[in-house]
Amino acid sequence: MSKPKVAFFDFTSCEGCQLNKLNLENDLLSILELVDIVEFREAMDDKADEYDIAFIEGSISTPTCVERIHDIRRRTKILVALGACAVNGGINAMKNLYPADWVKEEVYGEDKYLFPSIPVQPVSALVKVDYEIRGCPMSTPEFLHVLKSLVLGRKPESFDYAVCVECKLKENECVLDKGMFCLGPISRAGCDAICPSNGQYCTGCRGLVSNINENGAVDMLKQHGFSEKEALNRMRLYCANDIEN
Amino acid sequence: MYYDSNTGLNKMKRYYFDQPTTDKFVEFLMTQAEVIAPQKKGDASYSYEVVTSGKDIVYDYPRTIQPLKKYFLPPRETLLSFDSKNNEFKKTDIALNNRIFFAIHSYEMQGIKRLDYSFTQGNPEFNYLQRRENSIFIGISFNPDKWHFTKSVGISIEEVERFSLYFEPVDNGFLVFEVDDTGKELISKFGNGLSLDASMDFEVREKEFKTKIKYHYNRLPQVFEHVYNSKVWSDIAQKCVGCGTCNLLCPTCYCFDVRDEVELEISKGKRERFWDGCMLNEFAEVAGGENFREKLSSRTRHRLHRKFKYITDHSGELHCVGCGRCTKYCPANISIVEIINNLIEEYSDHQKEQII
Repeated sequence: MSKPKVAFFDFTSCEGCQLNKLNLENDLLSILELVDIVEFREAMDDKADEYDIAFIEGSISTPTCVERIHDIRRRTKILVALGACAVNGGINAMKNLYPADWVKEEVYGEDKYLFPSIPVQPVSALVKVDYEIRGCPMSTPEFLHVLKSLVLGRKPESFDYAVCVECKLKENECVLDKGMFCLGPISRAGCDAICPSNGQYCTGCRGLVSNINENGAVDMLKQHGFSEKEALNRMRLYCANDIEN
Repeated sequence: MYYDSNTGLNKMKRYYFDQPTTDKFVEFLMTQAEVIAPQKKGDASYSYEVVTSGKDIVYDYPRTIQPLKKYFLPPRETLLSFDSKNNEFKKTDIALNNRIFFAIHSYEMQGIKRLDYSFTQGNPEFNYLQRRENSIFIGISFNPDKWHFTKSVGISIEEVERFSLYFEPVDNGFLVFEVDDTGKELISKFGNGLSLDASMDFEVREKEFKTKIKYHYNRLPQVFEHVYNSKVWSDIAQKCVGCGTCNLLCPTCYCFDVRDEVELEISKGKRERFWDGCMLNEFAEVAGGENFREKLSSRTRHRLHRKFKYITDHSGELHCVGCGRCTKYCPANISIVEIINNLIEEYSDHQKEQII
C-alpha cells in the first residue's frame, strides 16, 4: 500500500500552526515514514495535483480564498481544518464585528481598492470539512492523533467538553475563584488546560463547546465581577462568528 | 440508610494525643505505609497528597478539591498497552503499596463506600478493587462550612464506619478513638512504652449545619419519584453552562471514557481511560451522532437522579454524601441543596393539591 499523499495549505492566518508542525523535530522523520508530504509551501517547493489528506490553515477572507478552497476540496479525499482560524474564523473574524469599509480603510488606507476582502468565514462555511484540529496554535499531540488516525483509516476523536474538565482532572485551583477572568467553563478542551495550569486564564482559543448556554455564561461571568460587555468581548476574541448577542 | 452514630464513639476505647504525640504518630504511620493526608494546595485550597513531612498535614481543612477517589480511580490511567503487529496486549501492573489515608472526613469515607458498591455491581472493576486493597483509613472530625450538608443526607460528622481510628480535636491535641482491630493494632504498635492517657471523658457536641435539605433524607427517594417533569430542571438549565465541574469533583461519580492512542509507528499503542461526566456534551451521544440528553435540563435531571434515585433504588443509600463540592466549585453558583429544596417545595405543593 502506498503512503497517503498529504498537503498543507495556508489561508488567512499567521501560519503559526504550520510552523508548529515543523517544530515536531523529533517526530518529523517518523511522520515521513507514514505519509508523503506532496505540498507544503512553508517547507518545500513541490506541488501536486491530488491529495489524500489536505490540511487547511487559516480563514476564508478574500475572493481568491474562495476559489482556492473549492479547488483544493475538489482535489482532496479528506479535508482537515487546522487551527482556530480555519475551524471557526479565529481572531480574524473579529473584523466582522465592524463595518467592512471602515476595516479596509483602517488597514489599507487609500490602497483599499487593491485588496478585495469579504467577511471572515471558517472553511466549513464554504466546503465540507471532514475533521477539525482546534486551538491557537493547534496542539501538536492532537495533530499527530488526527494524522495517525487517518493513516489507520479510523475516525479521529475530538473533544467537545469544557476546559474545566481538564482543570479538574489536574486538580487545579479554580482561576475564577482566584478573581481572574476565565472562559474555561464554556471553551473547548483538548489543550490539557495548559493556560489555567500555568497561572493564566483560558481565552477560549479552541472555540466554544457546542450547545453553549450563552446567557448563562454571561451571567456566570457577571457573578464573578465582570461586566456583560467585557464578557462578550472576550468571548468574541476567538469566537466572533459564534456569539449571537 | 444508616442512623446517627453519635453514640458509637462513647463506647470506644480512646487515647489522648497532644500535638507532639500526634506528630510522632504520623512519623510512625510513615514507617508502616505510604501516608496520604490533606495538605495545602494553591492559594486557598487543599488536596490529598502523599505526606513527606508531618508538618504539611492540615488537620482543620474544610474539604479538598478532589475527593479521595483519585487514589482508587485515577483521573487518567493506562489500562493496557498493545502491539497489533504481534497481536499482543499487556495489562498495566498496579503497584500494591500499603496505604494509610489520614485525617479523612466521614462523608469522604462514605463516598468511598458508595464507589465500592458501584464498582462491585455487575462485572467487578478490577483496577479499582485492586487499588482499594491494603488501604487503612483514619478519620477526623470537621466543622461544617456553608457548603457541607452531610447531615441532610444521613451522614453525621462522627460517622466512623470503615475507619480504623477516629481523631476528635480537643484542647491542645486530639482524642483518638479505636474503631476497629486494625486501629487497635496501630495504637498498640505505636504506643509501646508511651503513656497515652485514655481517661478523658468525651461528649459529642452537636455541630450546626448552615445548609440543610428541607426533608428528612428518608423521604428524598420518594420526592424523586414525582419530579421527573418538574420545571426546576429547566430553571437550573438557564444558569448552567455544562462545564461538568460538578461531575468531575463528585466523590460518587464514577463514569469514565476509554480511548486508544497509537505511537507514530502505528502498530503499538495504549488504551487509556479518563473520567467522564453526564453533564458533558458527548456523554449521551451514540453512533450516528444522536444525543439522547442534548439539553442541559435533562443532564442535570439525570445527574441528580443518579444521586437520589437510580442507584439508591438498588443500593438503599443516597449516592450524594453532602460534601458540597459541586456547589462550592460551580462557576455558575448553582446549589445542589437549592435544587433539591425547590423540588421538595414543588412536590409538597403538589401533594397539598392532591389532598384538596
